[in-house]
Amino acid sequence: MAESMDVIEVKNLVKLYQVFQKEPGLFGTIKSFFNRRYEQIRAVNGISFSIQEGELVGFIGPNGAGKTTTLKCLTGLLYPTSADKLSVLGFTPVQRKPQFLKSIAFVMGQKNQLWWDLPPMDTFYLNKEIYEISDSQFKKTLGELVELLDVGKILNIQVKRLSLGQRMKCELIAALLHLPKVLFLDEPTIGLDVVMQEKLREFVKNYNERYQSTIILTSHYMRDVQALARRVIIINHGRILFDGFLPSLIKRYAPFKLITLVLKNEVEKTELAKFGKIKNFDYPQVVLSVKSQDAKKITREILANLPVEDLNIEEADIEDVIRQVFIGNK
Amino acid sequence: MKKYWLVAKNTWDETVTYRFNFVMWRVRTILQLLTVYFLWLAVIPKDGSFGTYSQSLMLTYIFGTQILFSFVFASRSYNVGDEINLGNLSNFLIRPINYFAYWFAKDLGDKAMNIVFATGELTLLFLILKPPLFIQKELPFILFFILAVILAIFMYFFFNFLLGLIAFWSPEVWAPRFIFYVLINFVSGGLFPLDVLPSAIFEKLIFLPFTYMLYFPLKIYLGQLSTSQILSGMAIASVWTIVFYLIVKLVWQAGLKVYTSQGR
Repeated sequence: MAESMDVIEVKNLVKLYQVFQKEPGLFGTIKSFFNRRYEQIRAVNGISFSIQEGELVGFIGPNGAGKTTTLKCLTGLLYPTSADKLSVLGFTPVQRKPQFLKSIAFVMGQKNQLWWDLPPMDTFYLNKEIYEISDSQFKKTLGELVELLDVGKILNIQVKRLSLGQRMKCELIAALLHLPKVLFLDEPTIGLDVVMQEKLREFVKNYNERYQSTIILTSHYMRDVQALARRVIIINHGRILFDGFLPSLIKRYAPFKLITLVLKNEVEKTELAKFGKIKNFDYPQVVLSVKSQDAKKITREILANLPVEDLNIEEADIEDVIRQVFIGNK
Repeated sequence: MKKYWLVAKNTWDETVTYRFNFVMWRVRTILQLLTVYFLWLAVIPKDGSFGTYSQSLMLTYIFGTQILFSFVFASRSYNVGDEINLGNLSNFLIRPINYFAYWFAKDLGDKAMNIVFATGELTLLFLILKPPLFIQKELPFILFFILAVILAIFMYFFFNFLLGLIAFWSPEVWAPRFIFYVLINFVSGGLFPLDVLPSAIFEKLIFLPFTYMLYFPLKIYLGQLSTSQILSGMAIASVWTIVFYLIVKLVWQAGLKVYTSQGR
């Protein structure tokens, strides 16, 4: 196998925002009218990472962590305040060279590129011209995407009459018609119902495998990242807290497993606490948290000593793990 | 090039979906035309004159400004400010498309729609009112008139765009625009020909860009300018168009540096 190349390289990226401050109330408004106070916010505070061709990477972090700002720097929307290196496919994003723009796509869950008053098809045709896609290529890609997302019936309905889910699917098609080598997805599942979220995830995964494109997605739905990305980058307060594969994240921050028991009859709480930390006790169900390496041994002991109807061992909940990461870094 | 053609076509289609809105905008244009028309009809008696204007020339001027108004001043680029404020600009920055050309194409789609309607309305008004209009028959005047209108369209486009770019620095894009709208109708000659003003004022207005948005093209149409006046006017209008273009470009570049791509 040929050595895979770094599609994205980021070294020591910093982005500061000037934010204007206003005290609440009428007086505050008047005061700020004459005397504006600005504060600098470090949205991204010296982060470094690199991503290889074909990788699917998840960016996780709470609101305001700097995820979206990072993506905006990578797609050339924002001028970085400083960076030792910032390159995507060998380009400097902010120069926005046509060749660069033709190789990327950025889907923002909260911003539409579809023309609101026209059917999605009109935007698709426009993008065909913008990206200079040949007729045959356009037909082929559109056909595939429409089939994958199952939107054949709505292509000629005005965008404003579509549901949020249908619109999001069409946004994706509009963004992918030129088969970008690097795809940035910012909160693609925001506001969608569970079924639709599931479908979108499946699509993104398929797309990544089918076209070997590099995908970076942000989300605060942990499920998105868990289902899609093997590698996660956790970011908070503009800094990277963790960059690596999901299993090693769990091992490092959550070296415990969850044992769920269904009891046949009541057992004292103190009795249960001997086996592990009680996370939840709602008779007849108990959730115990135990050290990963002891899980087997403890399970055996539980089965021998407690009146167990049913037993289940799980990895720590990913949401918990993330919380652990954030708490550990406060 | 085809992408900009499609943008123009989509804009046309978009206008059709808001038929009622568009029709009301046209009704407003006609009402405005009629009020100014009847005002001047009353001010100048049939064989009288106002300054150097006979009734027929003045009425032609008024008719003309109203038509030109919908070509030159019907511009969608006022939305640029909102797009920057809402962060929708991002959707254009990530695609290989020229944002200026995009808006210009949108404007052309919009203007095409306006031209179709204006032609229909004027034919109708012409048949009903039978106004004593002056018809220019000499080709050079007509050609210079068209050239002046094209310059005016570009000049206004860049100026309007510039007002939108304020949004990079301040969310308050509407206040300057309102002041501008009130002023422009007056100083561009939308209410009366500028040369009826005292010459001390008029001689200064000649150096402003606004004079070249309505007044100048119409004066050419009426055949009231000498060749040297036409050429010097064209020169001033071209200089302003280029100056506006350069300012817009510089401001745009500077704006992108502070653009935060915020929004909902």
